Amino acid sequence: MRALATATLAALVAAVLLAAPSAVAATHRVDDSGTLPNESTALLRWRQTAPSRTRDDMLEGATAVAVRLNLAPWVERDASLFLVFPQQDSAATRVRWTTQGRLLPGEIAPGDRVLVYRGRITSPVLEETLTLRIEADGNRLSRVQHLNFHFEIDTD
Amino acid sequence: MRPEPSAAFTVSITAASPRVIYLQVGVGSFNGLYNSGGTPANNATINVVSVTVPAAQVGNGTVQTMTTNSTASRSFYDNFAFCNAPAQLYVGGFYRSTANTGAATLTASSPANLANANGDSIPFSQISWTSSGNSDSGAQPFPAGTFNGATQTIGTISRNQWAESCHTFRYANSNFVASGTYTGRVVYTLSTP
Repeated sequence: MRALATATLAALVAAVLLAAPSAVAATHRVDDSGTLPNESTALLRWRQTAPSRTRDDMLEGATAVAVRLNLAPWVERDASLFLVFPQQDSAATRVRWTTQGRLLPGEIAPGDRVLVYRGRITSPVLEETLTLRIEADGNRLSRVQHLNFHFEIDTD
Repeated sequence: MRPEPSAAFTVSITAASPRVIYLQVGVGSFNGLYNSGGTPANNATINVVSVTVPAAQVGNGTVQTMTTNSTASRSFYDNFAFCNAPAQLYVGGFYRSTANTGAATLTASSPANLANANGDSIPFSQISWTSSGNSDSGAQPFPAGTFNGATQTIGTISRNQWAESCHTFRYANSNFVASGTYTGRVVYTLSTP
């Protein structure tokens, strides 16, 4: 019986440790499964309708994304949140965004990881609206493309 | 180890106007600044290219240089005085496309003959043109040619390019024909792949 109780206790301790983020600095992927773009597809238009000497073949357009981040595991922790735009086969060359103030505005290119928040996590859910302004190479956008983003958190 | 959520959000993008073309033969119209976001506009003008052959020279083979009623000398590409109107006819345009499927093709469709009110005719092949542009060197995108009384290719415009030439028309004057005003219309068409 004593041996069984010890094993059960060890299992409980392990379960508790699994439920809470590590106390040491670490990077985690944030659950942003509640995040939704306002439009199914953002329409990008030629920045210059007519070709010019500057060879500006860029397309650009804007769309909004309703961000909902599950930060419950890090409440009352000091942390940094990052928007990540992994390298991917797409025509997008740069995305700039503005916010309503809960996250930082900024710009990001494929392969970048950009800080959007630093400080104490005070709420289990963070909601924000990002207005994205997307630039893409008009020579490479012959079909619908899907740009994948995610958020990461660094705990201090 | 705590399992990481695999969530990520996706933004889908596509081109609102994957293909845009502009063709100007003679006078044309453009809204806004030509070199900074200007957009083409419709212009229904049909310009006339003509020549009056002196009676003593009708059919003697002396080539007659034709002139136009076009006032379009400046290119909407950069406002440069590329052509010399009315001696020359501006032929230009652009082709925007997100797909690498080839160039746009400019064709001209001419009837077999020019005709007068009495039913007399002159083969359209009596009319040809040379091609040039002020300060231009090298091959013209719409080179010299002769109408063939059917649909023929005038030239091409590569993807995301502006192309332009100035055409100077001439009448071969090799047929002895009855007096009168002979007319015929050529229709230029820019087609995308």
